[in-house]
Amino acid sequence: MSSFMTVVWIAMICAIAATAGWMFTPRGKNQALIRSSIALTITCCYLMWAITFLAQLHPLIQPHKTGLRWEN
Amino acid sequence: MSSPYPSLFRSEEMSLVQLYIPSEVSHDTISELAEMGNFQFKDLNPTVTSFQRPFTSRLRRLGEMSRRIRLFHNQITAVVPPLGIPPLSAVPPFTTVGPRAQNAFDELDDKLKEHERRLNEMNKSWEELGKRKGELEEKKWVLRETAGFFNEAEHRHTEIRTSFDEGDDRTALLEHAAEFGTLPGEGISGGFDLEFVSGTIERHRMPTFERILWRVLRGNLYMNYSEIEEPFVDPISGKETYKDVFIIFAHGPELLTKIRKVAESMGGTLYNIDSSQDKRADSLRETSARLEDVDQILFNMSQTRRVELSKIAEGIEAWKDAVRREEEIYKTLNLLSYDQGRKTLVAEGWCPTRDITAIQLGLRRAVDTAGTSVPAILSELRTHQTPPTFHRTDKFTEGFQTIIDSYGMATYQEVNPGIFAVITFPFLFAVMFGDIGHGILAFLAASVMILYEKKLLKSGLDEITSTFFFGRYIIVLMGAFSIFTGFMYNDIFSKSLSIWQSGWEFPHEAGAVVAKATGNVYPFGLDPGWHGAENGLIFTNSYKMKMSIILGVIHMSFAIFLQVPNHIHFKKPLNIYAEFIPQILFMWSIFGYLVVCIIYKWSIDWSQSSSAPPGLLNMLIYMFLSPGTIEPGTQLYAGQGFVQVVLLMIAMVCVPWMLCLKPYMLWREHQKIVGQGYGQIGSGEDAQDGEGRQPEEEDEVGNSVAPNEGGEEHGFEMGDVIIHQVIHTIEFCLGCISNTASYLRLWALSLAHAQLSEVLYDMTISGAFTTKAGLIGQSIYIFAMFAMWFFLTIAILCVMEGLSAFLHALRLHWVEANGKHYMAGGYAFTPLSFAIPEDDETA
Repeated sequence: MSSFMTVVWIAMICAIAATAGWMFTPRGKNQALIRSSIALTITCCYLMWAITFLAQLHPLIQPHKTGLRWEN
Repeated sequence: MSSPYPSLFRSEEMSLVQLYIPSEVSHDTISELAEMGNFQFKDLNPTVTSFQRPFTSRLRRLGEMSRRIRLFHNQITAVVPPLGIPPLSAVPPFTTVGPRAQNAFDELDDKLKEHERRLNEMNKSWEELGKRKGELEEKKWVLRETAGFFNEAEHRHTEIRTSFDEGDDRTALLEHAAEFGTLPGEGISGGFDLEFVSGTIERHRMPTFERILWRVLRGNLYMNYSEIEEPFVDPISGKETYKDVFIIFAHGPELLTKIRKVAESMGGTLYNIDSSQDKRADSLRETSARLEDVDQILFNMSQTRRVELSKIAEGIEAWKDAVRREEEIYKTLNLLSYDQGRKTLVAEGWCPTRDITAIQLGLRRAVDTAGTSVPAILSELRTHQTPPTFHRTDKFTEGFQTIIDSYGMATYQEVNPGIFAVITFPFLFAVMFGDIGHGILAFLAASVMILYEKKLLKSGLDEITSTFFFGRYIIVLMGAFSIFTGFMYNDIFSKSLSIWQSGWEFPHEAGAVVAKATGNVYPFGLDPGWHGAENGLIFTNSYKMKMSIILGVIHMSFAIFLQVPNHIHFKKPLNIYAEFIPQILFMWSIFGYLVVCIIYKWSIDWSQSSSAPPGLLNMLIYMFLSPGTIEPGTQLYAGQGFVQVVLLMIAMVCVPWMLCLKPYMLWREHQKIVGQGYGQIGSGEDAQDGEGRQPEEEDEVGNSVAPNEGGEEHGFEMGDVIIHQVIHTIEFCLGCISNTASYLRLWALSLAHAQLSEVLYDMTISGAFTTKAGLIGQSIYIFAMFAMWFFLTIAILCVMEGLSAFLHALRLHWVEANGKHYMAGGYAFTPLSFAIPEDDETA
């Protein structure tokens, strides 16, 4: 389960980053837009990465290849 | 509630505002408001037809002015060599406001009239002279060409005469001539007595003309014609016509009259020429001289016309702009109602509450420009009418907001999905379009458009390019996210990158090999070991399919959660516990559970486990078919049967919950109102909005309240509520299943994209690398194949596939996400503004 924890740790880092982005967005007419964009970008990218990572964590099948050419 | 800054999250708070404008500042006030562009005027006399409105005559005059300006514009652009029209920014502005504005407009009107008169005169004489010139030219041609005929005929004349003397071979025409005895005597050398008609006719009519003449005269004619090479240009339309010169010899005044009639009826022009050569030469000389004169006059005239037009061209842009503004102003003034007694105009309209101060400042500025002392008075009205929806967008958010607005204009103050679409839209697009290379291409193309946006805006774009240009900020984000998802799929132009240590090791053997896991997990993206593997598709399909489900369920849950701020904002707590909670529970107890199972299954090391990994699809199906029982060997975790029964029961309970609670609560509320004796007082709210309004408007307000509130307060119809709720529930429950399945398009499209890009590579460059055609041959082959590959990559993979992924992302936002929370029952805020029509003209 140690690898599964990587996903959790990264999730926490992402959450911290998103919170920081939320807090440090300067006040102004685009504040809401910037805040939501930062949070959503981090969420989307994290989800995609985590899914890709988890899918390879405990692979059920191994890649098969034929006709590999080795250099030596 | 009102934050100091406008945000895209909700539409702007709007106020219904009444303006009392003293009539002497009305023009300048409207102008100032239009300059600021944040006031939407309401029509205060909807019953009055447009003919009866006070400023209609003024508008008609302005319409006439703009017609004149358009006329000048057309003539200026038609003139060769082209005259430059200085742009609006380069000409001194035309004062449209202030005390002198009226006079200035009257002067402008006179000036335009004068210019039009002069131009018309010039055009008329130009036309006449042009016609004259055409005629002279035709005559010149006729004279020239017939000279040839005469020579020929004379030559033949002698020839025939000899043949006539010699034997009986005669041509028909001369036979007749001989019969009638009009053949000239031998002694006359230059004379040629045979009568004739000559002139010109359009070339395409020539065959018909000839045939008709032949029939009418029964062959008693001798006709000759020749083509004029140069086309005649019509002085007005500039159309080119080709003409033929004809000359017809015939005998007898009757026949000649017939020929003349036929020629004229066919649109030909007849020219009288003399049969004697000297006179013809004189005539030719005279014609040429006159032609020269006419040319000279025409040239002078075109110079004068050019000068006149260039004088107009100098001011035309400023005039056009001024007249357009003036028209807008008077159109608006027509919407206001006039208070006869107090000499004021009353305006009513919507403006963002936040801008009221700015508008008040504007009203004061208008007084300064008008040079009077009485400003317009602004008062806010309380109303139950639904205000228009206004999202303040900039060039970045405009495109995204348009995507949402094309689905439906948000209800006033509703949560606007546009603010989230800024990220979710490009992201879902990128899930389908994931390729580093294609992402970079899209990103670069959009970046170029953004870098040169000012230049591109100035130089007009055609329709297709301007569509892409409008979406430049969407494309730039789509490209950026595609680069990220490309890294995730480890896919760059169908090849893979090996940045980190792969988790697979291939044994150094020939033939089929199976990789061994090193225990290392590729940290960022898909392991390159899968690239080119025979069973690579099996793996990526399973991975992408599960990813689509997970992303879909999260996206839909997010959309359902967006209901909450709406229900809180519109103060409908009932909707939270009668709609939102059962909906989210229903969704999560079925598909949320599936997502948890997917993640759980991934996190278990099945090689260490005692049982084989179960199929999740079957698990979900048997959760419904045989609740509570788990087939031995397909268990995912202990206690699975019990958990699934509980979840199924929650989902089952949610259906009647969604179905019955809301109608029941509404019915109870209604009973309470009836019990208190208010049941019949349907329009009880009208009493509240009388404040600050004229009594005659009471009715109108009452009418516009009713449709907004629906049937809940006014005329409570239990049947309608129940039917609405049944439809809503069925739609949601079935939608949950079909919408989740709909997210599988993410998998399908990304699979198709990856496969297409691989096939393209294999069919083009890949073959070129292994070809045996010598160094030069192979170089050329590779070069050609690369060109083909690059072109097809742009055309098919980036543009076509991009458009298809765009459409699918659009659908996911409109149907799957917006359908969960977006009411979209508003109408757009359309303020009076000078800026908008200008954009339309340039576009």
